[in-house]
Amino acid sequence: MQSSPWQLRHGSLRAYGRISVKLMLRMGMALAMALVTVWSFLVPDALHFQHPELARIFFWHFPCPMLASTLLVFGGWYSYKELKTRDRKWDVYAESANELGFLFCLLTMATGIMFSQVQWGTWWQNDPRQTSFLLVLLIYGAYFAIRAAHSDGDRRASVAAAYALAALGPALFLIFIFPRLPQIEAASFHPTQSIMKGQIKGNYAVVVSLVLILVSALSAWLFTLRVRAGLLELENQKNGLETHRSDPTPSGVVRPISVSSEN
Amino acid sequence: MFQKEAQSELRARTGIITVGLLSLCTVVALTLAVFNMQISGNLAAGLLWSAILFASVPALPRTFLAEEELGTGDLLRQWARPHSVYWGKVLYNAVQGVVTGVVLSALFLGFIGMHVAIPWLFALSLFGGCVALAGTVTLCGALVARASNRAALAGAVSVPLLLPLIAIGVSSMRVSLGSGFYTQGVMATIGLYGYAIFTLAIAPWVFASVWKN
Repeated sequence: MQSSPWQLRHGSLRAYGRISVKLMLRMGMALAMALVTVWSFLVPDALHFQHPELARIFFWHFPCPMLASTLLVFGGWYSYKELKTRDRKWDVYAESANELGFLFCLLTMATGIMFSQVQWGTWWQNDPRQTSFLLVLLIYGAYFAIRAAHSDGDRRASVAAAYALAALGPALFLIFIFPRLPQIEAASFHPTQSIMKGQIKGNYAVVVSLVLILVSALSAWLFTLRVRAGLLELENQKNGLETHRSDPTPSGVVRPISVSSEN
Repeated sequence: MFQKEAQSELRARTGIITVGLLSLCTVVALTLAVFNMQISGNLAAGLLWSAILFASVPALPRTFLAEEELGTGDLLRQWARPHSVYWGKVLYNAVQGVVTGVVLSALFLGFIGMHVAIPWLFALSLFGGCVALAGTVTLCGALVARASNRAALAGAVSVPLLLPLIAIGVSSMRVSLGSGFYTQGVMATIGLYGYAIFTLAIAPWVFASVWKN
């Protein structure tokens, strides 16, 4: 059945509308990010920092551990679903969450090290917070090491999910409990209650919140893209079109071909 | 499972010899490093935990790695329930870990002439720490048993999970060796047992979900 010219035109208009809405959303986000970045340099300095003008890295440092922790929990949840259902789709979700979490962990470390140099005078302070986040980074690293060591897709998915679940407790301990232990908190330079104690208020607090919202939106978008790419890769693997990128044994056949019996 | 592990070990003695040699080498190296020095409880606790970790991590995952190397893993998968396999191996590793911990502590404290201020706290800390360590390392051994480069990988993936345990273990043990406040030591010991319970509660379920895959 052929589509009428009106249907074709109507369909293409709807598709065009969807594209333009998405495009406008992305442009809006980019514009908002640019405006907030400029605003972050214009707001008055925060109180109680050694070099208040250089403490502005806090705007970009603060969302990173929040998102890294959230993505770690999401990774654990998707891993649980993978083990429960044995559906490889959840492995793609878990891997995507952990990859993004790893990225935010690296950003946390990078911005934290800069903050340490500016405020405390040394790149590495041996601060319990810095050290505990380094350990979280190692846990993420071990997760990817386990993935790389298994060539069979189903086994890789289940073993990685099991490790992610087993590592969730220690990682949450290192992020939330360890830095708040009395003897650790007393020895730490890292501010723990800057927002609650009112050091961050007014426009400064608004910028912190806006950056958090925008970076969260950006990470949600990146997560969606990564999941879509992962699901496509999984679909291709199921159809025998390609192997997983961590599979060490290259496939001899690049594309399957259909051989007709008439030839 | 426990009996099978004990018999296999007594037949080959690879694990016992590995642990024994590593423990002795570590203690001798540490004793040489602190020779003629008066070290604090803080430092002694850290050194002792490093020695326990160094002696245990290469040896404990062997219970699973050896099954795959000898080709008996598939037989075990057909013959035994996953929970029995995990608990049998953890029990064996816990016994081996506790014995290693006791011998290593006795040697280390004897060589450096350190006095234990609160013996019951020291014993509780050592026992809880070794059991939690056995639970975690056994699980990691099971996860990497069929991977490539499994022996190296087992240590690499275990250590990040063990670092929180070591942090609490050191906090607990330093008090028992005379540094820090009594209440902090008790709280840390409770935390250590909490970690052990958490590990042993979650690990069998996680293990069962991957063992027969």
